[in-house]
Amino acid sequence: MHHEHTFRCPLPNGLHARPAGLLADLAAEFNSDIELTNERTGAIANAKSVLSIIALDVNLDDACRIHIAGADAEAALAALSDFAANIMPKCDDTPSTPVIDDAIKLPRLLLKAGIRLHEGTPVSAGIGQGVAVTAHGSTLPADLDGEDDRSCDEEQRKARLALASLRNVLKTKLADRLSPAEAGILRAHLSIAGDVALEEKIAELISVDLSAGQAIMQAGEFFASRLMEADSAYVRERAIDVEDICQQLLEHVLGGQFQAAGIELTEPSVVLAKNLTPRQFLALDKHLLKALVLEHASTTSHTVILARSFGIPTLTGVANLRANVPTGREVVVDADLGVVITEINAIVRRYYQRERSKFARRQDRLARHIQTPAVTRDGRRLEVAANVATADELAPAFERGAEGIGLFRTEMLFMGREEAPSEEEQLDIYTRAAQAAGGRPVIIRTIDIGGDKPAPYLNLDQEDNPFLGYRGVRIYPEHRDLITTQLRAIIRASAFGVVRVMAPMVCSVEEARWFKGLIAEIQMELKAAGAALDPAMQIGVMVETPSVAFILDQLCEVIDFLSIGTNDLLQYFLAADRCNKKVAYLYNSLHPAFLRLLAKIVEDARRRGCWVGMCGEMARDARRLPLLIGLGLDEISVAALDVLALKAAITRLSAAECDEALAAALACQDVAEVDALLDACDGGGAARSLLAPELITTDSDSVSKEEVIKEIVDSFHVAQRTDDPLAVEEAVWMREDIHSTALGHGFAVPHCKTDSLAANSIGMVRLKRPVEWNSADSQKVQCVIMLAVRESDSDGTHMKVFSKLARRLMHEEFRARLLGASDCEAVYEYLTEELELPRIRHTPSALTGEKP
Amino acid sequence: MKIVAVTACPTGIAHTFMAAEQLEKTAKALGHEINVETQGAMGIENELSPEDVRDADAVIFAVGIEVEQRDRFDGKKIIEVEVQEAIKHPKAVFEKLGA
Repeated sequence: MHHEHTFRCPLPNGLHARPAGLLADLAAEFNSDIELTNERTGAIANAKSVLSIIALDVNLDDACRIHIAGADAEAALAALSDFAANIMPKCDDTPSTPVIDDAIKLPRLLLKAGIRLHEGTPVSAGIGQGVAVTAHGSTLPADLDGEDDRSCDEEQRKARLALASLRNVLKTKLADRLSPAEAGILRAHLSIAGDVALEEKIAELISVDLSAGQAIMQAGEFFASRLMEADSAYVRERAIDVEDICQQLLEHVLGGQFQAAGIELTEPSVVLAKNLTPRQFLALDKHLLKALVLEHASTTSHTVILARSFGIPTLTGVANLRANVPTGREVVVDADLGVVITEINAIVRRYYQRERSKFARRQDRLARHIQTPAVTRDGRRLEVAANVATADELAPAFERGAEGIGLFRTEMLFMGREEAPSEEEQLDIYTRAAQAAGGRPVIIRTIDIGGDKPAPYLNLDQEDNPFLGYRGVRIYPEHRDLITTQLRAIIRASAFGVVRVMAPMVCSVEEARWFKGLIAEIQMELKAAGAALDPAMQIGVMVETPSVAFILDQLCEVIDFLSIGTNDLLQYFLAADRCNKKVAYLYNSLHPAFLRLLAKIVEDARRRGCWVGMCGEMARDARRLPLLIGLGLDEISVAALDVLALKAAITRLSAAECDEALAAALACQDVAEVDALLDACDGGGAARSLLAPELITTDSDSVSKEEVIKEIVDSFHVAQRTDDPLAVEEAVWMREDIHSTALGHGFAVPHCKTDSLAANSIGMVRLKRPVEWNSADSQKVQCVIMLAVRESDSDGTHMKVFSKLARRLMHEEFRARLLGASDCEAVYEYLTEELELPRIRHTPSALTGEKP
Repeated sequence: MKIVAVTACPTGIAHTFMAAEQLEKTAKALGHEINVETQGAMGIENELSPEDVRDADAVIFAVGIEVEQRDRFDGKKIIEVEVQEAIKHPKAVFEKLGA
């Protein structure tokens, strides 16, 4: 049966947008042969091929003819004519509203900006703005020409073979058990690899004397560029598929591995990539790298760890990354909120200018902790050190207040290369580290490689269960040269600073003795050869396997210190894989059993005079500090970026209260109880005064209610009275949404109750230009006072101050004094007097309201 | 007139007290005696006794939420207004009492 249907293309953008995909998918449902002809050009396309339809270049008003031949022609006709009449005309409708996921929390200011945001998972905090640059996974060999004396026929054969091989590979993969998402991608790839138009294009290019490689490249570019121009993300996705397919085809044609691509940055940039190797990351110019967006990476991937070390804001898991974030456009990556913003309008620009300035002020305020050690209010010291993986990270870490290097991971020196680094190469790195530390301790962990970390030259077997397998210290006896070389370099470097060495994955005293014995041997050899070294270099082990907790009496006779690697220890102890979505909920360091384990470890170690540090993720959460201080740890080691905030937090805590908190936690029955306990801990907030000059602004240039509220909450954030300013803002808006807090007479009193605040606070902003507060009423507001109280606070004293303030605001004289006061200090003095607040002596902490 | 009042707003931090202050100021200016109980985040302050209520000529509730122990006022004529009204137009509230 034959049928025909004619129509005129109703679409302004022609048939190279979404409709091509829909048409091809629809046609593919039928067995009949279906052809689409562009009557203007006379070109004919297989209607089941997206690429073919696009190649037809059907424009608005072009006459088109569909020709159907086959057993189900009638059904096909009905469907296709319906498509042409009813569905096609609607294809180019742009989505009506910006797509904002309800699940992300956004400040009101950004919600009002009315822009489209792309959600991602923050893995390294901060905000970065720059031009989007796409990193390709691999470069193509420069020479695609193939042999000089190639023949057309030979190249055609190569191309056909490549296509056939690729299709087979894809079909085979599809036969495996796959997730629906993976299967979807593979099917899309298969349909492109099987797209007749692609094959024809390649053949056409070869026939004009291109090599198979060049033909594939150009055919890919031809289709991909057309598709990339589409507004629809769906179609742009196909372009990426085309590029992917062509890469794979090239690999089939050319064989061999491709090199990982280097990326040159020429201006402040945001790099987008499917994934990035640590090497690629390190090669990037850090001054120009403002942020990183990765399609795939977990929080413990090495690249992410490096990004944190260097303070590069990073997001992962941004859907349809390259389709949604166009290369060459200026974008903002907000890794605090977890979004990428691709349209920067005036509101966004201003918002981020203010965010940057707030961030700078927050850093300034933290700056006084850089040089000083972190000590609690009642005198207990907790050293805060940094984790690094390269010698370059040390200087920035010390600039950010690190008191030492608690963990220098050395694996990266060994990965992604053809052979192990030489002794001299390693010596150079360790020496630079020791010197950069200038007398501060540097703990170097010897190579910790196993199933999950690739170093092919070691020829480690693939294991079914690498995490319980051949890794860490276990491989040293068999790879004696490897470990000896590394230890020689470390020992020689010990002459240049305070170097300490630590072994990973130790589970028995025997292993510790072996390690120590090897070191002693090497030291003897080196001394005999006249090399300088530190004979008192301290030797320690990681605590990762639970067994260590029960043999500390014996172990501490052999070693000098311990560092608790909570990431692995927690996994092994609770037998739960943190990457397994189904059981990840069990992986929680607040599990009372884990806290008891930690308590035992620290107690046993200290009884034997052994120093105990902690270098896992548990250490970086300020909320858990009371437990860590209560445990009596000597040190915590975290990413460089986290150091200052933790040091500041420590100075606000009381060790006595922390001891109590830990005792209570150890008696808890489950994580929820411990959580509630931590919520009630206010991080020393009760000791802080309600008001401080830094919470007062008398010359604000905020122009809207949203800006004012954010400005006051930001002042709380800068003053470290909250770590979650967004939550505080939400609490204020929750109250504000019920009824405007404008009082009349140019005043407003937004307020809230929330535990996202560490200390009850009063903030004030006096505006240069009055701002509208309540749209229902024409009166504008000149002075805004925010009252913020902790939900779980039962301290009546502060509430009395609030009620007094509220009452005073009803009096003309009081308001006039606030409006007329010359500056922050004047306002502060007046309020302190009127509200009878305790006076604070004028010391640096007076600015911040912290009791000395 | 002898007046008793209760102020209570949802969050209980600011408006409860502002309303109390306004009612007290305005009553004084109009020559009335007033006793205001606040029901705020700290709980009930300046709790009105049964005698206070019995002796009162009028009762004002300036509230945005349920009044606690409302049964104390059974049998009394109560003028109930929004907290905002008491803050912004306190005189009008007293006018409602016919005072």
